[in-house]
Amino acid sequence: MTPAVTLVQDLTAAGFVALALAIAYRWYRERGHAQGKLAASLLALAFVAGFSRLPPSAFLSVVLVIAFMLSGFFVLLFRNDFVPLSRRVYLAAYVLLGVSIVVGVLDVVALQHASPLLMSAAAFVLITAWAIFTGEPIVRFWLASNSLPAVQKARMRFLSLGFAVLIAILFVDVLGGSALQSPAALIITQLLALAVVPLIFVSLAPPALLRRIWRMGEENALRPAMQDLLIFSSNQQELADRAVFWAVRLLGATAGFIADAKGNVIASVGIDADRPVASISGQGDETHQVVRAPLHLGDEGHGTLAVVGGRFTPLFGTDEISQLRAYANSVSAGLQRVRVTERMAAIEKNKSQFLNLASHELRGPVTVIRGYVSMLEGGLLGNLNERGRKAAGVMAAKVSEMNELIEEMIEAARLEEGGLTLRPVDADLREIARSAVATVAPLADSHHRVVLDLPERRVRVRLDPDRTRTIIANLLSNAIKYSPGGGEITCQVRARAGVARVAVTDQGLGIARDALPILFTRFGRVITPQTEHLQGTGLGLFLGRQLARLQGGDITVASVEGEGSTFTLQLPVAGAAEAAPPPSSPAKAESDGAGAAGQPSGAPQARAQR
Amino acid sequence: MAAGPALLYWFPDEAGPATAGRSRTPYLGHQVLARRGSAIHVLMIEDDAAIAEMYRLQLEHDGYTVTVATTGELGFSTLSGSTPNIVLLDLLLPDQSGFEVLASLNARLPNHPPVVILSNYGEPSMIDKGRALGAVEYLVKSRVTPAEISGQIPVWVERGRRGRQES
Repeated sequence: MTPAVTLVQDLTAAGFVALALAIAYRWYRERGHAQGKLAASLLALAFVAGFSRLPPSAFLSVVLVIAFMLSGFFVLLFRNDFVPLSRRVYLAAYVLLGVSIVVGVLDVVALQHASPLLMSAAAFVLITAWAIFTGEPIVRFWLASNSLPAVQKARMRFLSLGFAVLIAILFVDVLGGSALQSPAALIITQLLALAVVPLIFVSLAPPALLRRIWRMGEENALRPAMQDLLIFSSNQQELADRAVFWAVRLLGATAGFIADAKGNVIASVGIDADRPVASISGQGDETHQVVRAPLHLGDEGHGTLAVVGGRFTPLFGTDEISQLRAYANSVSAGLQRVRVTERMAAIEKNKSQFLNLASHELRGPVTVIRGYVSMLEGGLLGNLNERGRKAAGVMAAKVSEMNELIEEMIEAARLEEGGLTLRPVDADLREIARSAVATVAPLADSHHRVVLDLPERRVRVRLDPDRTRTIIANLLSNAIKYSPGGGEITCQVRARAGVARVAVTDQGLGIARDALPILFTRFGRVITPQTEHLQGTGLGLFLGRQLARLQGGDITVASVEGEGSTFTLQLPVAGAAEAAPPPSSPAKAESDGAGAAGQPSGAPQARAQR
Repeated sequence: MAAGPALLYWFPDEAGPATAGRSRTPYLGHQVLARRGSAIHVLMIEDDAAIAEMYRLQLEHDGYTVTVATTGELGFSTLSGSTPNIVLLDLLLPDQSGFEVLASLNARLPNHPPVVILSNYGEPSMIDKGRALGAVEYLVKSRVTPAEISGQIPVWVERGRRGRQES
């Protein structure tokens, strides 16, 4: 025996002892139930490796044979913890253990001087028994690893591989006989055995770097899935369903569920609907199989993300279990986001429903008031004196305002419920603008001049004429309303490059730059000392823009505070190719009751945009 | 500022007086027409007493004969007893919907007088349904005044008469 062989043998023995001590220490620290058996197996193996380095004696040989057989048997027990063996197989394993120990002891005590063949046969029986004890579990681990996440898969395969190498070495040793007694062969087999040490160590306590490498491919798939899960899940149920699915996949588990703060299961995977969840999440025998992570659900308390571990999850999923907790935090955030979104959607819906209901209920009383006021005004209920007529006139105006508000609310509710139907027809935008100007004419004071600036050629559009008239009339009435000092209000119609524009320009109060974004929001009104006494619903521009957009257009605004505003309604020209705008000077038309026109076209707009 | 004209900006092509029927005749003209005082008999099926009373006031002032029925069933008994020239029909009635009244009217009295629906609802689907059931007009109550309705009645009666002749 050369010193090199001795050295390698010592090294191998030391390696196994170190491995066994490391695993035993880990087991002692964490008291992992299942790892105990494996630690015992490795300790027995290390015992064999270590004490076989001592000078041989019959007693030591007997002890070593027993320790060796136990090291294999513990691997079987380890596997039995995950997948229980049938009673018969279990008994057979004990019988095999007994027989092999008896053979081993006989081999040491009685067969020392028997024929080498008999000794080889005894050794063959021993390693066959050992190979059965360890071989069955490693095949099972290898097969089971296929359905598991990357880290668990790698760990199980390393364990299988480690024991497979040991089995191979033992068989080669015994069957090879004297042919393998050369120093080189000994060194090779010892080095192979030594290589098993890191394999088994890595399988039981994989370093972070390795875990990261193993997991890399999986994480690349998980990341978009997480993003999809947390950002794009539109409701709580969908998110919970997907979250459970991924949690189960992440851990390589068999089932999982999410329970809310009250303990109600809101989503589950792989759980029999008939089976009460309490039996899974309860304190029964299976408790150790359920991996739970808390979900922080804000003011509602804590829910649970629970995963029912697969057969090998508790041992090989330690990493994933800590990952599951981090994952649960993300799911909590996602659930809260969805909850807020859902709550807001419900509020929005209630608002729309309220708007709808209230407005229809308001129509009844308004009908009666409006009817009687009109009859009062018409003198049908008797002649009124001067003051009475004046009062009736004010009432009629106010009830009209009310009616306008109701109609706006109904239109807004309709818009949000998607119940708004447009009735597009071919029309001339000039005609629509003309009738809109006529509608608002009564609103204009003597110091307002409403100027209608139309092109000579017709502006062909395909749209809902009544709603478009409504949009323009609303822009005009706003222009009048927000020009308390009077001035010119221009309604200019143009078509260029397939886009028709109706620009309504005033010389009124204008709008501060930072107030512009709220103009087009529902109920968004710009309140300033100058405008607070002016009445409005804050729905007009919201509806106007929505209706314009529904027709393929938009409304934009340009304004200078204190100088005036220009609101521009843009609409697509029908058959845009045909509608090349003529550069001719536009014809101007005055609206009813408005003052003299004559300002160069486009000038007010330029002023407001300055 | 002129307070007179009702400024209904949100006045789409649904159930508004501006587009009553397909004719865009000014109301004033019809009002004058109505004041000639014909012997037109109006049946109003309407459960809101305030509205019914208001309309009765206007219509009787304009020379019409007015009968008010507060339920669909009462409306039917009036129709089988006498023959009104026009029916103003509400949609929300205590015993049945106005659509049901109109449908059974079509079934039981094929030659029934023209029916004008006056409702608080102006949803496009309801207007389409009303028209499909043969109503000569569908109007939203809050958008019209009794005087406007009164002025339009001769037109509707005439339209109903012509419609029956054609069929």
